[in-house]
Amino acid sequence: MAQARKSLIKIKPKKFKDGEVVKVSFMVMHPMATGTTKNKKTKQLIPAKFINNIKFNYNGKEITNMTVWEALSTNPVFTTYMKINGKGKLTVTYTDNTGEVNEKSKKIKPKG
Amino acid sequence: MMQRRDFFKKLGVVAAVSAVAPVMSFAGDKPKSANAMSYATAVNAITGGKTPKKSAKVKLKVPEIAENGAVVPVTVNIDSPMTSSDYVKAIHILASKNFNARCIDVNLTPANGKAMFSTRIKLGGTQEVSALVELSNGDFLIATQSVKVTIGGCG
Repeated sequence: MAQARKSLIKIKPKKFKDGEVVKVSFMVMHPMATGTTKNKKTKQLIPAKFINNIKFNYNGKEITNMTVWEALSTNPVFTTYMKINGKGKLTVTYTDNTGEVNEKSKKIKPKG
Repeated sequence: MMQRRDFFKKLGVVAAVSAVAPVMSFAGDKPKSANAMSYATAVNAITGGKTPKKSAKVKLKVPEIAENGAVVPVTVNIDSPMTSSDYVKAIHILASKNFNARCIDVNLTPANGKAMFSTRIKLGGTQEVSALVELSNGDFLIATQSVKVTIGGCG
């Protein structure tokens, strides 16, 4: 049930060295419907659809694992820090309450 | 042409409808979230009966007045060395009066390097937002701030 969603991984600062602690933001276009709101035109409930789990994997090692509930805003942003530890790949896997699984990855190349 | 008395009649009807309508919309069965959880149960479920300590180490940054309850930025910063022996295990963001008090549980590891988390949450009304922090030695710290919401965001 994979569906293409717009998502983005941002690392700040853009140029970083090995061993540096950088800020990582993950943004995703997702409705995050709570299941308690109604469509104003049709007066029908909008079924719940929200991300319930997010994993940050760096070179196959899990660094952050989040359990998410309904109360996050539409198109959520998740920001944490991460310690750069050599060349590799950062993969973000996110799961939906309807069983939708998606992932996004970014190459990490420290300079110097 | 509209007569004075007609005008007053119509005015009366409009006033009656507008007074009743909001009451009716509240009186109808509001659908509850499937995993509704109160604030006290949420804290108990996380801490397992321990009482969290208030601490200045946990810095919670939330706007005091949120114009739009659908998008409230929350930032949690914790003073921690993040070494393998002393690090922040988890950050939980809780909203006291939402259907489901739990917003997000973030499990951190020493590989994060810095104990910080930031996101945007929905608030159903004026309430308190708290950050419950679990340290690697099993202690729980808490920081709370009240947020005034002008327009609710949970429908």
